[in-house]
Amino acid sequence: MNNKIMRSVFTLSFCALGAVWVLVGCGASDTKSGNVVEAGSITGKVVWEGNAPAMRARSVDADPACVKMHANDPLMTEHLLVGDDGAFANIFIQVVSPIPKGDYPVPTEPVILSQQGCQYTPHVFVVRKGQELAIQNPDAILHNIHFMPKKNIEFNKAMSKDKKEISFTPDKAESMFTIKCDVHSWMQAFCAVLDHPFYAVTGKDGKFSIDNLPPGEYEIEAWHEIPRLESRRAKVVVKDGEDTELNFSFSKPTRK
Amino acid sequence: MASEKKPGFIRRYIFSTDHKVIGIQYGITAAAFLLIGFTLVLLMRWQLAYPGAGVPGLGWISEKNAFMPEGQVQDDFYNSLGAMHGTIMVFLAIVPLLLGGFGNYFVPLQIGAKEMAFPHLNMLSFWLYLAGGLVMLSTFLLPTGPPNSGWTSYPPLSIIADQGQTFWLIGMALIINSSLMGNLNIIATVMQLRAPGMSFFRMPFFVWTQFVAAFLLLLAFPPLEAAAILQLSDRLLETSFFLPSGLAVSGVPIEVSGGGSALLWQHLFWFLAHPEVYVLVLPAMGIVAEIITNNTRRPLWGYKGMAFAACFLGFFSCMIWAHHMYLTGMGTTINAIFEITTLTVSIPSLVIMTSLVATLWGGSIRFTVPMLFALAYLPMFGIGGFTGLPLALATSDVHLHDTYYVLGHFHYLIAPGTIFAIFAGIYHWFPKLTGKKMNDVLGHLHFWPSLIFMNGIFFSMLITGLADVSRRLADGGEMYAHAQDVLFLNKVMSHSAFGLAFVQSFFIINLVWTLAKSEKLESANPWDATTLEWSTESGLTVHRSPYEYSVPGATADFTPQYEAEVN
Amino acid sequence: MWDWLGLPEQASAHAARMDQFIGLVHVIIISGFMFWFTWFLIALAKHRKVKNPEADYTGIKGKWPYLPVCVMVFFDFALLFGLSIPFWHDEINAVPLDDANVVDVRVVGKRFDWMVHYPGPDGVYGRTDISFINSAMDRHVGLDPDDPAGKDDIETLGVLYLPVNRQALVRLGTQDVIHSMNLPEFRVKHDAIPGMRIPVYFTPTVTTEEFKIRMGDEERDFEIACAQLCGNSHYGMRGRIIILSDEEFQAWIAAEVEKKASYDEEDDWLFDD
Repeated sequence: MNNKIMRSVFTLSFCALGAVWVLVGCGASDTKSGNVVEAGSITGKVVWEGNAPAMRARSVDADPACVKMHANDPLMTEHLLVGDDGAFANIFIQVVSPIPKGDYPVPTEPVILSQQGCQYTPHVFVVRKGQELAIQNPDAILHNIHFMPKKNIEFNKAMSKDKKEISFTPDKAESMFTIKCDVHSWMQAFCAVLDHPFYAVTGKDGKFSIDNLPPGEYEIEAWHEIPRLESRRAKVVVKDGEDTELNFSFSKPTRK
Repeated sequence: MASEKKPGFIRRYIFSTDHKVIGIQYGITAAAFLLIGFTLVLLMRWQLAYPGAGVPGLGWISEKNAFMPEGQVQDDFYNSLGAMHGTIMVFLAIVPLLLGGFGNYFVPLQIGAKEMAFPHLNMLSFWLYLAGGLVMLSTFLLPTGPPNSGWTSYPPLSIIADQGQTFWLIGMALIINSSLMGNLNIIATVMQLRAPGMSFFRMPFFVWTQFVAAFLLLLAFPPLEAAAILQLSDRLLETSFFLPSGLAVSGVPIEVSGGGSALLWQHLFWFLAHPEVYVLVLPAMGIVAEIITNNTRRPLWGYKGMAFAACFLGFFSCMIWAHHMYLTGMGTTINAIFEITTLTVSIPSLVIMTSLVATLWGGSIRFTVPMLFALAYLPMFGIGGFTGLPLALATSDVHLHDTYYVLGHFHYLIAPGTIFAIFAGIYHWFPKLTGKKMNDVLGHLHFWPSLIFMNGIFFSMLITGLADVSRRLADGGEMYAHAQDVLFLNKVMSHSAFGLAFVQSFFIINLVWTLAKSEKLESANPWDATTLEWSTESGLTVHRSPYEYSVPGATADFTPQYEAEVN
Repeated sequence: MWDWLGLPEQASAHAARMDQFIGLVHVIIISGFMFWFTWFLIALAKHRKVKNPEADYTGIKGKWPYLPVCVMVFFDFALLFGLSIPFWHDEINAVPLDDANVVDVRVVGKRFDWMVHYPGPDGVYGRTDISFINSAMDRHVGLDPDDPAGKDDIETLGVLYLPVNRQALVRLGTQDVIHSMNLPEFRVKHDAIPGMRIPVYFTPTVTTEEFKIRMGDEERDFEIACAQLCGNSHYGMRGRIIILSDEEFQAWIAAEVEKKASYDEEDDWLFDD
């Protein structure tokens, strides 16, 4: 609460930053990084070892509109999505250090967060610092979008059924924070704001790939939303023109 | 010896200590706030009638705008509009118009005083009021916008709210300090500076109402100022006067020391805000009384009873505040006590209204434009007052609390009530201020449609309230099945509101045109009134009661108070 | 009889008594208003300048205009002592608890939804604390997983199930700001105040099924509305209250308890910080 006065200064500065971004973004290309002569990549898979807790059907009784949308196709919990062969989805992979120096223009297209079927899609995602995040409401019902970052401005806006899109442009890099809907309390998503393009989020196949890395040794982190599953870290050496394999595995924590 | 230099423009019209100049400053500023407050609610009414549709003419607003992208009122902004409409209307428009405007100008004149008791304090009070008002308005420039926790600012909502709420609290502190100075001034002036012969029971009823209202505010405002500072402290210094422990917003615990009480704010707030509404009501009754007696050409019936009633109303209204809190968990006994006091306070209002109707009987009624507004005040106030009864009784309040019924009730009292009285006062006293009389045709064009539209808006609210449509709903109740049958009334209310807005243009045109074009009247007392403000002389002595109209045996049908002999 | 008031349907034991009260109050205020208004209009007609060019200095002699004031005040206090205070005592504040049949349930408001917490067959509420809240995993009220009394507690979001013709004791609370639980058809409304848990009593008398038939609308439900401004989605803080027959209600409780028991305790680590 005593940040509020500071926030107005930050707001003014991100308006200015937004202006600079527009100027810079106009000339930006779509690639994630600038020109790198020597580059390698890291690819791998994240798996869950052992029995995965079962995801179960949620009750969405709180909103009859959601009940209708899921009359035949129940909404499942999604806090630990393990697919075939232990493929672990929604793992956020990032290069922790060192971040290669370079010019990483911010993409001009927005990242889209969709409120569809009373659920956020995607569940875990990254926005670049200065990139627009477009929050859409194809459900066309009242959703309430509540961002709870630590460094960017917290915001909580109602999106009425007529409100198709709200956009938000973060101006500070920060690690994964929670996004909630205050009307449909089960809805949750996680977002990180990065100022570089060296990250990935695993899909249903558990696979990830980070490209255009200059050769060298890097520390990579794999993060999952459940606090008890501590982030895994690994060091890896990237060689020019080569694809280095790096896998992560998670399992149920041993101490209770 | 140096000769007295005539003060310059700044000293005479800007930083003036002359009660008439200050009265006009208050009047113009408050009228501007009235217009702003009205505009805010028109935006809300558009949203309520046509949810999701952009306000026509505002489509040019960028789609990235936080408040009204492409003219569409956002849900947060709807709540901001509501909070600001209430705050501006109550604290920045109506009370300053009544006490700062009419009070400052006419109280000294009506009691035959040369000036207010503390002219410099008077000047300071205006500038503090303006400062408070500007602080409030500046919230529209904040990135998170104006405060949106209602004009009632209940914690914990107001404490977790955005920046605008801090400005609201600071603005309130300024406004309250301004008001306290003004009230002190009115009380001291009435007590000390009455002209020779002007005993208390020879004062015009208007002065009684101003006097009581000033006492009310003087005694009731300080708890709210204290509460506002406590709330500021909770917001900025992480204290917990109003925050109990164990709260979580969106699942995230609020980090506070805890141990506070949300109800404490409600008690402190309503301890002011209930007497506040009697401040909105009393001076208006005073204005209406002046105009009715003048236009019926006979004295006020039961004048003494009215004066006592006004005093009793003022005193007792400080004891009824918790009727706003019937549903907060109070027990049978406490509820009963406040129900008893609330019903008791309706007695003086009934006495005053009855006396005014009784005044008409035996009169020779002239339907001048001010009289039209003053007459319409009576049944409109009546509807407002009577609809207070289902709210005063806790049982029916269970159903009607926080519904549109409450809005209908108090708007009847303030809109076709007090605001009509203000219009009446402006039409009536315009010749005193400017020497010109406003145009009658435009006056009728202003009055009749206003009366109809006011009822269109607020009677509809009584109906939707009975159907249990809650207030402060940004979509007007659309989401609720129990509201569907009465939803069409949202359009009725809104169209009436737009109509009401349109016909105010007749008033504004009338004001401007009369000021610019009209010829000055020959008489300084065109309404043939008896009270002192119509005299152009100073150093008057008072010889008789304030309303000596149609005195038996007199030739003229009025005998001014300052007249030594009956003609 | 009171249809003209446009009140919602009646679905609780005290609704008829409340409606009668609301109706009576309105009869009195409408009569009072018509009396004064008629007198007012007659005065205007009879004493307009054209009709009465000379005003009468004395006007009404005596004090009889105070008489209607006294009459009105009499009716006010009659309503108060005769009906309002007894109603409040009987139906809201000193409601006798029907120990055998009462359904005890907590309703906790939060921005912007209603959380419902049943104590389960053991009749004891499990310990709750905000540190245990985990909405993404449907743990809304913050039940302590280690408290044995909470093992059979049932939580729902946005829906309050109650059996018909049994007294309901809703312990109303809030997790964040002031809300107000409004059950229009049941004539129940009470503020939810932070730091307090306030008992609200009523007895539903109409099942949801009957209500749907009565309203001729399969999709119609009894609603929970929020009646105190709580933020930007206050207008969307709509819940449902579903009245079942007693058998259906018992069956629902049993099913929920079973569903909860079937969750693997092995998975409890998911909820730890």
